[in-house]
Amino acid sequence: MTELTHSELSGFIADRVEIGVFALDADFKLTLWNRFMATHSRRSAADVLGRNLFEVFPELPRSWLERKVRHVQALRNYAFTSWTQRPYLFRFDHNRPITGGVDAMRQNCTFLPVKNEAGEVVQVCVTVQDVTDNAIAHEELAASMAEIEREKAEQRKLIGELAQAQNQLLQSEKLASIGQLAAGVAHEINNPIGFVNSNLGTLASYVDELMVVLDAYTGAHEQMPEGLRSAIDAQIKGVDLDYLREDLVNLVTESRDGLDRVKKIVQDLKDFSRMGESEAAWADLHHCLDTTLNVVANEIKYKAEVVKQYGELPEIECVASQLNQVFMNLVVNAAQAIAEQGTITVSTGTEGEQVFVAVRDTGAGIPPEVLKRIFDPFYTTKPVGTGTGLGLSVSYSIIERHGGRIVVDSKVGEGTEFKIWLPLRYPAAKAVAS
Amino acid sequence: MSTALFSEDQRDALQELTNIGMGQAGASVAAVLGEFVMLSVPRILVLKPNLIPPALARIVGSEKVTAVRQGFHGDLRGEAVVVYGVSHCRELADLMGYDDVIDEATEQELLLDVSNVLVGACLGGLAEQLNAEMGFSAPSLMATEAEVSSLLDVERMDSPCALFVEVNFSLEKRSFSCHLVMLLPEDQILVLRDAIDRFLASL
Ligand SMILES: Nc1ncnc2c1ncn2[C@@H]1O[C@H](COP(=O)(O)OP(=O)(O)O)[C@@H](O)[C@H]1O
Ligand SMILES: [Mg+2]
Repeated sequence: MTELTHSELSGFIADRVEIGVFALDADFKLTLWNRFMATHSRRSAADVLGRNLFEVFPELPRSWLERKVRHVQALRNYAFTSWTQRPYLFRFDHNRPITGGVDAMRQNCTFLPVKNEAGEVVQVCVTVQDVTDNAIAHEELAASMAEIEREKAEQRKLIGELAQAQNQLLQSEKLASIGQLAAGVAHEINNPIGFVNSNLGTLASYVDELMVVLDAYTGAHEQMPEGLRSAIDAQIKGVDLDYLREDLVNLVTESRDGLDRVKKIVQDLKDFSRMGESEAAWADLHHCLDTTLNVVANEIKYKAEVVKQYGELPEIECVASQLNQVFMNLVVNAAQAIAEQGTITVSTGTEGEQVFVAVRDTGAGIPPEVLKRIFDPFYTTKPVGTGTGLGLSVSYSIIERHGGRIVVDSKVGEGTEFKIWLPLRYPAAKAVAS
Repeated sequence: MSTALFSEDQRDALQELTNIGMGQAGASVAAVLGEFVMLSVPRILVLKPNLIPPALARIVGSEKVTAVRQGFHGDLRGEAVVVYGVSHCRELADLMGYDDVIDEATEQELLLDVSNVLVGACLGGLAEQLNAEMGFSAPSLMATEAEVSSLLDVERMDSPCALFVEVNFSLEKRSFSCHLVMLLPEDQILVLRDAIDRFLASL
């Protein structure tokens, strides 16, 4: 067995290594072409050696490659290409023709200057490394990363919506329990108010009768004996009888007024809290509006003056508690749109076969890009805790269920008007009737 | 801080060596980049890694950056990072004489090429002066259009100091600049220091 010389060994390895190796002289003539290159290009070393690279492979990107090689010669330094920017230098088949999914072998190339003793670059050697497997793995990884990113974005969006839905649920649960409480309190208060009211009525008539009797007595004591008379005079002075008679009547009248107001509030609470109700019934929209305005009065009184421009309205068939909810949202939105002080105008009327209710404010107005989305569920421009973005979308579906429509007209800096049209009859009822 | 790692003399020598190296490479770099391109003398700073982002931010401003990294090995081992301001990055194609609008891959390849040339010239020149053998691995894109502050994860950088080399290209009418940062692990700083000392002793 004869020993290999060092250069024989190097030559053998350069030829058989599983990496493409070739070299070029200053005229781009091939001076080395290893087995890998021969196998993949199907051009043998004998066929290509001594020939100009571009003559043998006219499909190569000539000007780019020339430039690259010249750089290596001039700078006496390495140069590289990566499959990520330039998928391949030579179009070779790769080792995954079935499962690969790429068109040709992906290659990383290194250009190295081959120097002589004097350090001059006499040739340029190029290695071509098959990185198809890496490239495929890399691309699969990138695809699944993108997928994960997309899913994460989706989840973030869902989590946001869930948080808002929960917020809304809490809010409506709060409203519902307030409604129940209000109904309960209203019921409880109704009883005592009933008997206080009737007692007060009786009291008023007793007072009237007493006054008549008192009138009859007035001055009669003048004819009484001296001792008795001065005693009665002192009593009359002591209680200031004239003032007392006057004030007694006032007190009774004021109490009856106060009681009327309590009765009104209780009635509003009862009307408003008929939340669960979904049966359509004939209702007076002006009454609905007044009730709603009373309920929200506290929230808006520092912001806005409410102007009512009510026209003539027939009763319409509707679910009053749901319409109350719509009116309340419109009025609260209007108040929230007003920064300092403004006016909310509520107008009503009829147009053809339909009635309308309009809520106009002198608030900030709605810019066009927001306007497109205000009826979307969860769309809000208000801070967390103030807005849920559900008000208008719920209103929209309520109006739709009533067979009506809601339109908005807004100018930034001037204000906004929401206008609702409703038919006289509730659609479901129509369907039942026909 | 940085003065503890290199003495005044050593730092001056380093600057001088880079100047010479760069100067020698300069002519060939100019030949490659085009005859109207001038390469200025690089300015060298020795910085702790945590001072690199602020130093970069000071030069680049609030502009986003694209960066290329390239490893070097041999007698001296470390990583070089070349940082381009995004707007300069687009001028590169112009500078290199591409007339047409080029696609993203071509633009990136160009960037990698120029970075390779610069790192080779700068570090190769330095190595040559120090009589050190140095090889390079392929450059790769480190970040595209990223914030300067997010570029180098200094927390994770295992390097007590870095050579911060500012290199400027200029063109007749335009000027173009990028910044080259050479990062060395601790043991390599000693190697570099010894090499500098040997060089100083040979004077
Ligand atoms: N009168 C109004 N003036 C200005 N913007 C309004 C008005 N009404 C509604 N908007 C806009 O429409 C969005 C959606 O309203 P809405 O569905 O009621 O939800 P929310 O009031 O909880 O934000 C509001 O966030 C606001 O940007
Ligand atoms: Mg609302």
